[in-house]
Amino acid sequence: SFYSPRGPHFTGCRSREQETFRCWWSAGIFQNLTEPGTLRVFYQTKNALSEWQECPDYTHTVKNECYFNKTFTHIWTSYCIQLRSVRENITYDETCFTVENIVHPDPPIGLNWTLLNVSHSGLHFDILVRWAPPPSADVQMGWMSLMYQVQYRVRNASHWEMLDLESGTQQSIYGLHTDKEYEVRVRCKMSAFNNFGEFSDSILVHVAQIPSKESTFPTTLVLIFGVIGLVILLVLLIFSQQQRLMVIFLPPIPAPKIKGIDPELLKNGKLDQLNSLLSSQDMYKPDFYHEDPWVEFIQLDLDDPAEKNESSDTQHLLGLSRSGSSHVLHFKSDDDSGRASCYDPEIPNPEDLAALLPGHSGRGDNHPLVSRSSSSIPDLGVQQTSEVEETPIQTQPAVPSWVNMDFYAQVSDFTPAGGVVLSPGQLNSSPEKKKEEENEKKIPFQLVSDGAYTSENTARQLSADVPPSPGPEQGYQTFPTQAVEGNLWNGEYLVSTSDSQIPYLLPEAPPVPILPPVSGYTVVQEVDAQHSLLLNPPSSQPAICPHSPNKHLPAMPTMPMGYLTPDLLGNLTP
Amino acid sequence: MYLIKNRVNVLQAWLWCVSLWPCWLSHAVPLDCKDETGSLAQCASISQEKLLDRVIQHAELIYRVSEESCTLFEDMFVPYPLHALRSQGGNLCHTKPFPIPGSKSEIQQISDKWLLHSVLMLVQSWMEPLIYLQTTLNRYDDAPDALLNKTKWVSDKLLSLEQGVVVLIRKMLDEGILTSSSIFEHTLTPYNEQSPEVLESVLRNYNLLICFKKDAHKMETFLKLLKCRQSNKLSCVSY
Repeated sequence: SFYSPRGPHFTGCRSREQETFRCWWSAGIFQNLTEPGTLRVFYQTKNALSEWQECPDYTHTVKNECYFNKTFTHIWTSYCIQLRSVRENITYDETCFTVENIVHPDPPIGLNWTLLNVSHSGLHFDILVRWAPPPSADVQMGWMSLMYQVQYRVRNASHWEMLDLESGTQQSIYGLHTDKEYEVRVRCKMSAFNNFGEFSDSILVHVAQIPSKESTFPTTLVLIFGVIGLVILLVLLIFSQQQRLMVIFLPPIPAPKIKGIDPELLKNGKLDQLNSLLSSQDMYKPDFYHEDPWVEFIQLDLDDPAEKNESSDTQHLLGLSRSGSSHVLHFKSDDDSGRASCYDPEIPNPEDLAALLPGHSGRGDNHPLVSRSSSSIPDLGVQQTSEVEETPIQTQPAVPSWVNMDFYAQVSDFTPAGGVVLSPGQLNSSPEKKKEEENEKKIPFQLVSDGAYTSENTARQLSADVPPSPGPEQGYQTFPTQAVEGNLWNGEYLVSTSDSQIPYLLPEAPPVPILPPVSGYTVVQEVDAQHSLLLNPPSSQPAICPHSPNKHLPAMPTMPMGYLTPDLLGNLTP
Repeated sequence: MYLIKNRVNVLQAWLWCVSLWPCWLSHAVPLDCKDETGSLAQCASISQEKLLDRVIQHAELIYRVSEESCTLFEDMFVPYPLHALRSQGGNLCHTKPFPIPGSKSEIQQISDKWLLHSVLMLVQSWMEPLIYLQTTLNRYDDAPDALLNKTKWVSDKLLSLEQGVVVLIRKMLDEGILTSSSIFEHTLTPYNEQSPEVLESVLRNYNLLICFKKDAHKMETFLKLLKCRQSNKLSCVSY
């Protein structure tokens, strides 16, 4: 081993160029062995000779050095050397090695640098460092392949910067500062080994900083102030034009509207204007429900006209003999063309009605069933032959304004011929008109509007009130007995009223289930904000929720028409 | 009819044979169109100088990789006190048929022919041991992939180097040599029965790697000397 704390030992062996090598030793603490010649070195090469030979050359100028010249230096062979004291025949130290493993090349020579470039700011620069391999190393022949390592530092600094190993003889150094002085040095080693040689002498690198004429300071200041000014300007602009900017960037969402309809119009309840508007919309025609197909479909088709005369239920009920009676209660024929409309119920001819009643002739006002209302309704009894104004019986005018008409009408009866007898629906015009119409309802020969079912007892009552005439028995119509049959009689009772009262119906009879004056159908007045249908809002509220939260909902006025089509409803919903 | 048919067959066979003659040529012609890398590139002739450069590059790379492999193996498997073996240069590297001088002066006196033949012999002598080394390393449990890759790479490169040297021999020495790696008998007997990772196996492989590194250095040195001589004879001659 190379190290031994006491006694003589080898201190090291080195080769500079792989052609020769030297070994040194030390006597250690043994002072008596310091004399030259007491310690001797013997070596042995492992390949061919196995004898120990003494050191070929003890260097005279250097103490304790053994020099092996070219002749004795063999690479690729193992050497073992021993340090012996011949006198005592003691081997103090022994070590083995190969020459390649102890090669420490000489430092490279000719180190110099050239300036590559200087940065724009003038603060940094790059240099190219060059050198030459040590002259002792025979690289040309390929005897030694060298790798170089460059190091640099700021002058007199403690830490050296190391660059990567370089196989060539030049290297670039980047990023040096101009105002600093640098030291650069280089060393080399054999490529496949790790024994570095000595460093070369350091060279000084220094590039003076070029003072730039133009100062960058004002430029920076100008830039900063400019940016600040711009920012302030922008802020002012934004604050001054805040509203407009809000409109530009955040436009308001348009409210839903029906084209052409002013929501204010609806609130005021100007029906005519609205009607005109809506009519122009092409979806709400006045004659709409004239052509309502379902009304026509109610028509019953009785093929046999003879049945009309023979098997009419009505006639059965009325007890009329079909053959003899000429006073067949002809209701309107089943010809519905043009007359099967809501507001044109089949009201029997007053004459026919009059003929129905037994002993009606000449009875005049005394007939209990015939009363004379205060209104200017012609008395049937009196004016049998007079021209009967049928129309006043009608609650609805001959040319009714569709505004006042019910869209729905209830079917009260079927004619023997299969026609439909309609009862007028609820009239939803002004309350005054309502009362009037109610009065008119009480006119005899007018069918009961509500179509309430009149019970048998009631019917009996009715019939009982008919004073038995001494007339022929057959004059009596036992229509009460037929009263139970179906709903045909619902609307057919001739109610005698006086002063808007129905005396016969009310007492002693099981109460007629008086329905509220609402027909089977109800008119939808409005669709409120919660999408619920408001039926018949109280008239005390003229305007429909003027302050409703949803102002955009166009409040429909009291529409007398019966229903809202789905598209209308769609228009209402926001 | 049969005669005509036979003639047609013969003609066809002849045509086939003729069309396949390049294959014959490539087999029969010894390494004329291949450079040392072994690729069947265009038979563009490469100058001797360039070929020598390439061969030297190969040798340098092999030498470097052998050093790295040795270091890897040493770090992984060899206990620290035995690292000194490396500096001792390896013992009992498998014997070569004839000794190689170790001093520079002696080497400088070696003839070109001898240099090339020595290189070829070295290359050929290491092919089989490297394969053996590969198999043993594969049997190790924790052999690093880098080591395995390097040994594999070296084996491949040795083949190329062999081919290149053969071409050089032919060109420089005008000698024809058939590539064969089984000319020389190898004294290394693989111990396949022994379990891997035993110290003995480890030391054997370590020794193998050290020896290989040394021989790779020899190859490189010889080739570089050869190149030096080719370019400038004066500076390469020792005085």
